[in-house]
This record gives sequence, C-alpha cells and structure tokens, in this order.
Amino acid sequence: MGDPQVYLEKLAGFSRMLRLEGLAVSPRETEDAAQLILALGLEDRAQIKTALRTVYAKSREEQLTFDRAFDGYFISEEKMRAQAREAMERERALEQGRREAEEDLQNVELSSQQRETYAAMPQEARQRLRSFMDRYRDSAERNPHLYSEFIHSVFARTLLEQQMLMENAGVGGEGADPDIGILYRDISEFKDTELPKAIDIIHAIARQVSGELSAKKRSGSRTGKLDFRRTIRKGLETGGSLCRLQYKKKRSHKKTLVLLCDVSGSMVQFSEFALRFIQCLNQVSESSRIFLFSETLAEADPFRLQNMDLFRGYVRDCGIYGRGTDLGTALQGLLARKPSPLGTAATLLILSDTKTIDQPRAAAALVEARRRCGQVLWLNPIPESKWQYLKSVQNFRNLCTMVPCATLRELAQACRRLTK
Amino acid sequence: MEYQELKAKMDKTHYIYDETLATVVYVALKLGRPLLIEGAAGVGKTEVAKVMAAALDRELVRMQCYEGLDESKALYEWNYQKQLLAIQINRDQTDRDALTKSLFSDEYLLERPLLQSIRAEKPVVLLIDEIDKADEEFEAFLLELLSEMQVSIPEVGTVRAKTVPFVVLTSNRARPLSEALRRRCAYLYIEYPDLDKELAILRAKLPHIDDKLCVQAALAVQKLRASEAILKKPSIAETLDWAAALDALGIRELTPDALRQTAGFLLKNTEDLDLLEEEDICACGGHCHG
Repeated sequence: MGDPQVYLEKLAGFSRMLRLEGLAVSPRETEDAAQLILALGLEDRAQIKTALRTVYAKSREEQLTFDRAFDGYFISEEKMRAQAREAMERERALEQGRREAEEDLQNVELSSQQRETYAAMPQEARQRLRSFMDRYRDSAERNPHLYSEFIHSVFARTLLEQQMLMENAGVGGEGADPDIGILYRDISEFKDTELPKAIDIIHAIARQVSGELSAKKRSGSRTGKLDFRRTIRKGLETGGSLCRLQYKKKRSHKKTLVLLCDVSGSMVQFSEFALRFIQCLNQVSESSRIFLFSETLAEADPFRLQNMDLFRGYVRDCGIYGRGTDLGTALQGLLARKPSPLGTAATLLILSDTKTIDQPRAAAALVEARRRCGQVLWLNPIPESKWQYLKSVQNFRNLCTMVPCATLRELAQACRRLTK
Repeated sequence: MEYQELKAKMDKTHYIYDETLATVVYVALKLGRPLLIEGAAGVGKTEVAKVMAAALDRELVRMQCYEGLDESKALYEWNYQKQLLAIQINRDQTDRDALTKSLFSDEYLLERPLLQSIRAEKPVVLLIDEIDKADEEFEAFLLELLSEMQVSIPEVGTVRAKTVPFVVLTSNRARPLSEALRRRCAYLYIEYPDLDKELAILRAKLPHIDDKLCVQAALAVQKLRASEAILKKPSIAETLDWAAALDALGIRELTPDALRQTAGFLLKNTEDLDLLEEEDICACGGHCHG
C-alpha cells in the first residue's frame, strides 16, 4: 500500500460503499478511520483492516459484510497484479481476435461494432463462420455482388445472436455494475452465490416501488371536490372568513390479493423470489392470502415466507415440492373454499409457467375464477420472446392478463401493474 | 500511547493475545471510545478488562449488570440514614435552605461504580459486565455517560468526568444491544481460541503441568467444541479447571476413563454428559488409542 493521503481520499468512497451494503456509517466513523490510517500507516494490511473493522462494523454480522467490502475495495497488491495479468491476457486475446477478424472479413462489409463482436466471439463460433465462407467461395467468383449480400446477412444475424447471448448472460453489464447484470438475467438461472445479492436488489426495488406507490397515493388522494362542511368549520377559527379551503379526500380501497403460486420443481426458485418481492410491497394490498400448488393445493402462512430457508422447508413439509403441475385442480380447490377467498375486490395473481396437465380443465377453472374476482393477473417467468411457440401460453393468455417476469426488472414492472 | 508500547505493556501481564485483540484495544484507546466485546460465555471477555487494568496500571471498577439494575445501583444513591440523622441534629437550625443544600452535598452521596469511575482522581478501567442482562432503559441511560463522559444528577447538576476511564462493555449476545450504544463503541468479537492459542494459554497459566497432557487436553476440548451435539461448549476457564483437576488426580495421560471421571469440569449440563457416556465421544484426540 502507498501514500496514506491517497487512501484518505478513498475512505469517503469506502464509507459510501459500506452504506450501500447496509451498514450505518456516519461521518464520525469516516473521521475515526482517517485518524487510524494516519496513526497506523499502511504497511500492515491486516492490521489496518482490523482497525477499520473496529470502527465501521458494530456486530458479528456487520464484520462479515465489512470484510467482504474491504477485500473488494482495497485490493491487495497480489490481487491487483493478478487482475492486471488477467486484463493483459484478455487484451492480448482480443488483439489476436481483431487480427484474425481483419483476415477473415476482407470481403465482407461490416460495421466496426460488428467487427468488434466478431473479434470477441469464441474460436468455435468464428470457425463455423469461416467454414461457411469457404463453402460458398466458388459461388462468389460467379456472382460477387450476390455472394457479398448473402454473406453479410448471415454474418449480421450470427453476430446479433452472439451479442444477445452475451447480454443474456450479463456479460459487460456485470463489469460496469454487478446489479445490472442480475437485474436483466433470468431468475431461474441465478447461482447460489448470487442469491443474497438478488435478495438485496429485491428489497431495494420493493422499497422503490413502495415509495412510488405512496407518492402516487398522496398526490391522488384529493378528489378535487370542495368539502363545504369542513371548509365552514375551519373558517370559524378565522372569524368566519373562508380563507382555507378544504377538499374531499378519496377513500382508499386497497385490494385483497390472492396469490396462487406454482412450486413444482421448475418453479420453486422463481416463486421464492416473486413471493419475497410481493411480501415487500406492503402498499399493494391490505390483506393477502397465499396458496401454493403443484399437484395439490395448500395455503401458506405469510410469516413463514419471510425467510428463504423457511420457505423451502415449508414447501417440502407440505409434500407438494418437486411434483408435476395441475393448475386445474388447484383452481378448483381455490374456488371450492368456504368462505371464498375470491371476491370482486380480490385480485388473483397466478405465478406459474403455464406448463400444466389437463389444460382444458385448467382453462375452464380459470374462466370461473375470472368471473368471481375483480382481476386475474398471470406472472409468467417464461421470456416473452418464447410465448409464441408455446400453445399453453397462447391458451391462457386469452383468458387473463399475462405479464412477463423472467427477470427481476420485469417482476418489478409486473408489481407496479398490480396497483393500476 | 503507540501500538508497540501497548503490546509491550500487555506482554508484561502474561496475557495470551493475538494481533486482532491488540489492534482493537489500541483503536479504542486511540479514539477514546468504549470497547464493546461480544462472544460466547467463557471466551475471556471479562479478562480483557482485567488485563487492561493491569497493563495500564489503573484501578478496575467493575459493574455487574442484571435485570432491574437502575441508576441508584449503578450511578449514585443518597445516604438516607445519614441525611435523617443530619436533619435530627440540625432541627433547630433556622436557615432551612442551607440545611437542604448541605443534605444534597458530596458528604451524603454514595458513589456507585459509574460515578466512582468518572470522579476518580486517576483514570480507571470501568468494566460494565454482561450489559445484555440489563434492561433497555439502563442501556439508554448509559448513552450519555459513554458519549459525553458526563452524567446528570437532578439535585447536583451535570457531573463531568474528572478523568476519562477506559470503558469495557461485555455481552453474551443474550439480546441484541441498541444501535445507538453499538455506534458509540469500538467493537470486538472474541471466538473460542484455536488449538495453538488454547495450548499457549494452558502452558502460560499451568506451567507445572506435563506438556503432553496439555496437548491432549487442548485437543480434547477442541474436539468437544467442534461437536454440534454438545449444547454448552467448554470455555477457556473450564479447560484450565479441567487440566488442573487432571493434574491434581495424578493423571499423566488422557484416557477415555480419565475423561469420563473428570467430565464434570468440562461439561456443565446433563444432556452433554449423557451424550459423552452414550455415544462414547472420544475427545482425547486419538492419543489414548495410540
């Protein structure tokens, strides 16, 4: 580590990062940390880490968060060297790719961005395109213009697909901001190590959505009609002059939310996220009931869903985990409940990927459910681009409002729709 | 005080510590913050305060917390008997204001640990032990003392610290402490010692015990602590007691029989002792089997 003054400047940024990680860091702590850096110097990295941990982290849990943040922020010399080596390797590979691209793409007109994508493509993918060009080389001699157009179209399509693949995998986005990668990626593809980060993001988005809804509620609470009775009463305070007009307030009618959640093998991770998200949105409904289903239906206690481990344990205990999906039976079970959870003020929210057995029975039950309750909203974790190929999606889509929510961003958008 | 100077002073107390502990204590002293120590029971939290008192050559003022602890037990109390006597003696006195004033003077003030520590002529080490056992109201009351180093006594006014004590708070995490209290302290979490540290403690505290037995005892305790089934993990103090008991019984090598005979020094509840009997947990670290 080098000059302490340089690190003092970095401390403010580090404090901000710790706040983002959920630690309550005040300017006083930053000031203390600065004092310690000046007193201890930066020769001993472990010592300065311990000293800063004492100042910033005030519980065992906070210590663990601090350690992670410190190691990420104040990179050790060895790690810095390793990162520089990796960056050089990457740059060398890219340069090699660019040189090969120059040779390969002599006769093809492509934009500079497409050439960059080609250079970054894996060797096998480039090899496939090369062999494709070789195959059609004879035709090129016969009709150069047509060949060039054809090759260009094939290249453009392949490169676009490649770019989409990289975006889907969160490549690029992760480098700039790790949250963005997670936000746009398929929920079912999250790794175990990414789950805590994803949960943090869910809480952050939920807070944001809740804030938006509160603001909307506040601004929209006035109907615009004058409340004569209250205006006259208020006027008495000022000797009968009506200088402060009072307006009627809109009575707020929150919805009752009935969640029907698919916890069959393929859906359990998505359901966990969706439920967690909806739980966070305390503004959405004044009461909610949660039903879990696979082949049978079971009602869940909302308090047990606060924790992911409890949720998994509960789903396993119910005996519905990892089974097939039978939406028809689940909906019929829901409709047969007395007293009925569905009513005109209720919104039925279905979290499922539409892959159910006995679709006609499920469709009939869905029609009946739609008749009984105010709104049926289907959150579908299958990406919207694939809906056209799935018959089940087509069938159910005509019977209710289906919203895509394969990613956390789409899930947030879907939850915003709940209030409309 | 510089870091190396502090370490030299701690070395003189023959206390076995690691770099983390030394750094945290240095930070607390440097910034003038109270030191909040958390950890399981028996890992040596209270010992840190004792060692600091010895190392800094200060008096140790200890306050043991418990449910229902209030200001009168922690801060001050008026000596009612003495006040009543004074009233009786001076009942003919005409200047009642002067009498009232004299009744609420230092002469009738019984100093409890907190007041004692801030009114001491020479700085002391104040140990507030097991703060998690005190009520939340008491915790809130401590905030003024810890941040401003002053306390308010209605009859006297604000009492500012003559000297600043080094405050050590310990907690077994029986209940979470308030965020406000935590923020005012430097924080240290002490875990059970690893094998090397435990062995070093045994050697330092019980130098007369055979080294082979020390190693076996330390290994056995490590193994017991690692077992999920043991409810109350043995503390360092229990390890020391156990090793002393083994030595007193003339045991030179740890065998399963010797372990069973003396298990009461290590395991302090019936379930754990039954487990040791039933499942035959061999805690001798393999030494007794060769």
